[in-house]
Amino acid sequence: MLKVRIIPVLTFNGFGLVKTKGFSHPRMVGNPVQAARVYNARGVDELVFVDILASKQNRKINLKLVSDVIKECFMPVAIGGGVKTIEDIHDLLKIGADKVILKTIAIINPDFLNEASNIFGAQCITIAIDAIKKDNEYFLYTLSDHEILLTDYLKKISSFTFGEIILTSVNNDGMMTGFDLNLVNLCTQYFKVPIVVSGGGGNPNHFKELFKASNVEAVAASSIFHFTQYTPRDIKLAIAEIGKPVRLIKEPPH
Amino acid sequence: MVIIIDYGMGNIASVQKALFFLKVENVITRDLDTIKNSDIIILPGVGSFQKGINNLNELGISEVLNNEVLNNKKKFLGICLGMQLLADKGNEPAPCKGLGWIKGEVKKFDVSGYRVPHMGWNNIEIHKDTYFNIGGNNDFYFIHSYHMVPEEKNVISATVDYGIKVVAAIQKENIFATQFHPEKSQIPGLAVLDSFLKSNA
Repeated sequence: MLKVRIIPVLTFNGFGLVKTKGFSHPRMVGNPVQAARVYNARGVDELVFVDILASKQNRKINLKLVSDVIKECFMPVAIGGGVKTIEDIHDLLKIGADKVILKTIAIINPDFLNEASNIFGAQCITIAIDAIKKDNEYFLYTLSDHEILLTDYLKKISSFTFGEIILTSVNNDGMMTGFDLNLVNLCTQYFKVPIVVSGGGGNPNHFKELFKASNVEAVAASSIFHFTQYTPRDIKLAIAEIGKPVRLIKEPPH
Repeated sequence: MVIIIDYGMGNIASVQKALFFLKVENVITRDLDTIKNSDIIILPGVGSFQKGINNLNELGISEVLNNEVLNNKKKFLGICLGMQLLADKGNEPAPCKGLGWIKGEVKKFDVSGYRVPHMGWNNIEIHKDTYFNIGGNNDFYFIHSYHMVPEEKNVISATVDYGIKVVAAIQKENIFATQFHPEKSQIPGLAVLDSFLKSNA
C-alpha cells in the first residue's frame, strides 16, 4: 500500500536556511547541508529544498549548494526556486534532483509545463500553488500586484501536464496553528495528481486532522521540525493512529 | 568495471552516489567503447519513453547494448525509465518502439480513484528473491505515470499494489530492472543494489 509521505521543507534565502511566517519575517534556522544530513539520518520520506528569493531577485539557484544538499540525501529530493527554462530543469536533474518545483513560470507561461513534461516526464514536474486568503476569498500569491482568484487559476492550470502539487497556505505558513482544511478540500477536487499540503503544521494533532478531513497523499512541514521536539516519525506515529499507512523505520538516537 | 549510461535522461548522479556509498567503482559514460569494455551496465533514467529511446538510438547506444546484453550476456540493471525502455512498445507521450528485450508494452496508469503519478513509498511483493533477499522493510520509492505490462509473466520479479498489480521489477537471465528507484530507497534500496552488483550471476 502506498504510504503517506511526511516531507520536511528547507527554505533558503541565498545565504542560509530561513523560516518565514506568512511568507515574511524570515528567521535564520541554520545550514542547509547540515539540515539535509540530519534528515537523511532520520530516513525521512522525501525532502524539499526551495530558494524562496531566487525568482524575486531574478537569479538562478546555486547549483553547487543544491548539489551539496543532494549529496547528503539517499531519499528523493525536490528542488525549487527560480527554475524557468528547460536547461534549468536539466541542470537540476543532472545533479540528482528527483523533482523540480515550478511556480512563477507556471503562472506566467503554463505551456512550459507541457513542454517540460514531454521532455522530462510529468512525474518530475511539481508545481507550487501558494494561496492567500483575504476577506474570506482565496487568491493566488504571486510576485505581481495583479490579483488572480485561486479557483480561476486551479481551473486553468488543471488542464496542463505536471506530476504533483505543493499547496501552501500563505496565511498559515509558520504559524503552527494547523492546516487550512477548507483550502485543501477546495483544491483536491480539481486534480488527479498527488497533492502535498503545506502551511500550519505545528503539532502531530494538526496532521491527524488534515488526514482525517481530506484525501491527500503527502504533507510538508518546516517550523515543527525547526522549533519543536517533534520529528517526522512522531507525526507518522500520530497519523498511523487514524489508520493511514506510513513508513516507519528505526531512527538514530537523538 | 561498472558503468552508468549517460544518455541525457536524469538521475545519473544519484545512481553514482549510491554506488560509491557501496564502495563500487564506476564511471558515467556514453562512450561506446567504454560500454563495450564494461562488466556491468546500469541504465538509469527519468523522463519520457520516446525521448529516452531516441537518445539511445541517436547516440548509438542501443546497438551496443543489444550486443553486450543480449549476445555477450553482461549483467544489466535498468532503473525506472531504464526498465521501461526494455519493452517492445512505449506510449509516452506517443506510441513508439523500445529496445524490445522484454515482450510487452508500457502503458499509462488508468485506475479509478488512484492519483497519477504513483508517487512515494510502497511495499513490494517479491516473486523472485535473487536480489531481494534483503530482510526487513521492503518499502521502495516509486515515481512513475506509466507502467510495464510484460506478455510473459515469468519475467516479473516483484509487483506492487496500486489499485492493480503493477510490475515493480523484472528479471530475465542477465537482465534485472526495477520500476522503483533503489538509489533513492535508503537502506532497502541500497541492499538491492548491493545484492545485484555483488552477485556472481
